[in-house]
Amino acid sequence: VIDMQAQAQTSAATRGKVIASQLVETTSMYVSAAKIYPREIEGRYQRLRVIAAWVLMALFYLMPWLNLGSEQALLFDLPKRQFHVLGLNFWPQDFIFLAGILLVLAFSLFFFTALAGRLWCGYACPQTVWTEVFLALERITEGNRLQRIKLDRAPWSWDKLRRKTLKQLSWIILAAWTGISFVGFFSPIRELVPNLLRLNAGGWELFWIGFYGFATYGNAGYLREQVCKYMCPYARFQSAMFDNDTLIISYDTSRGEPRGPGKNRRVALAADKANHGSSEALGDCIDCTMCVQVCPTGIDIRDGLQIDCIACGTCIDACDRVMAKVGSPLGLIRYSTENAIAGRPSRMMRPRIIIYGALLLTILTALALGLIARKPLLVDVLRDRNALYRTLGDGTIENSYTLKITNKSADARRFVITLIAPEAIRLLGRSDAGSLSVRVAARATQAVPVTVHGDASNLGAHTRIRFAVHDRAAPETARTEESWFFAPEEHSDEH
Amino acid sequence: MKAHSTEPHAEGLSPRVIELSAILWPSFLVAGLATMVFFAFIDPHELNLISFPSVEFSRELGYSIGFFLLWLSTAAASYLTALLLRKNVLRKQVLSKGSPP
Repeated sequence: VIDMQAQAQTSAATRGKVIASQLVETTSMYVSAAKIYPREIEGRYQRLRVIAAWVLMALFYLMPWLNLGSEQALLFDLPKRQFHVLGLNFWPQDFIFLAGILLVLAFSLFFFTALAGRLWCGYACPQTVWTEVFLALERITEGNRLQRIKLDRAPWSWDKLRRKTLKQLSWIILAAWTGISFVGFFSPIRELVPNLLRLNAGGWELFWIGFYGFATYGNAGYLREQVCKYMCPYARFQSAMFDNDTLIISYDTSRGEPRGPGKNRRVALAADKANHGSSEALGDCIDCTMCVQVCPTGIDIRDGLQIDCIACGTCIDACDRVMAKVGSPLGLIRYSTENAIAGRPSRMMRPRIIIYGALLLTILTALALGLIARKPLLVDVLRDRNALYRTLGDGTIENSYTLKITNKSADARRFVITLIAPEAIRLLGRSDAGSLSVRVAARATQAVPVTVHGDASNLGAHTRIRFAVHDRAAPETARTEESWFFAPEEHSDEH
Repeated sequence: MKAHSTEPHAEGLSPRVIELSAILWPSFLVAGLATMVFFAFIDPHELNLISFPSVEFSRELGYSIGFFLLWLSTAAASYLTALLLRKNVLRKQVLSKGSPP
């Protein structure tokens, strides 16, 4: 009797499997060009993702409108080659900070990927976030998953035309606004938008609005998960950052298998009872395929960790709901590590986490120290390109320089230039001998021609000299730059 | 069981489109980064002065030309890589079909 029951169960399970895959495959026939219709789902990870999306979208769309005083708080002013970041002012000479920020971003990605897998992909990547937003618009205009599949299958009608037009319209408006916001980070948005309304925007601004808007429309509206699967390089080198202790979304195979649909599972349970824990019993996975239906990249997480998985957690939420409904413990699909799933202990502190973390902390500290020590004054000394020196009528040797003084502060400053050199060399000043005073406007660079005279008889062919520049009102704002004073060779021979 | 999970999506894009995306997108990212680093050091206005001083470029035009030139270069390199890999795969297939080594 037991054997027969087991047989019946096995064949039922097989039949069930065939039916299940046929069902989905029929669906796939509706899906022309294998379009993925992610099923909508609610749950804790979806709530987290929605919160993350709102925060990121708000940052992106509102940040350009935030003013600090009379200036845009975050403006990468490319035409003027100055970056304004929350009251700080960066010049091309501050490239080291940009490099530092890029390093911080890279190491953060390494660190968090090693720690918790593809957090970036699931929660923060613009591709994922904008895809979710475009999907939400699609849901509002075209309905839920089944309605969308039906709508795409249905012949053209007024209703279909209306829904499709509304969707396109909402997508295009959002994409255009995205393009405008993007350009607003580079060109003051409070001037850009009025200019656009007056049809008076610059050609390049229009071009980049169009470029970014179109990229958003195509990437979030149509390419979607294809970007992650076929185009994103990060997906390919993530394995270098993963180890057996990295948090990944995994299906608990030992608990779930052998999987089987609901009805057969009850049969199996009965068989199990009769059999006192026979190995023929089904696992907790009822093979409802919900985890596959909700997946935005259309994979089956039960096949194991895959390159296509963007770690969004939708399958966890879907599976937990099903488990709750059938009365099994939650977490058949869950955030776990390879070690934990295999029953080995997981370690959080491991060499790669410590190394990535230490590097990240070091760079962050260096950046912070650099920012604190940053002076609002830059000095470049350029020698006259045409002549090393000139000999004047009375035998005095003259060298010419151009000092480029950059005032990074938000108000005009007066700077004093002094020369630090042997006594035979002196700076030609306007007022008192030996120093020169110059006014530099706010956030501007001033080229100051400087003439230096030297007493030839006391000098070698080249002498090291230094120009010291300080803010007259704030002497601690000072910089010293080195240069050379050249004199004719024969004089050096005499001495 | 695997059938319903992978098959409906496997043929999402044609291999040509996949190849094209794999050429254009990473080269776009790298070109963007390279543009940023390049123009952090070089002022397009100065490039204008040493290249075509008779024509006046705006900095925006300079940045845009720079970006597209870099994208063209990175995409060309990616395309050649894709081409070489394609040829290699073909040769391997021919070899494995039984022609003696």
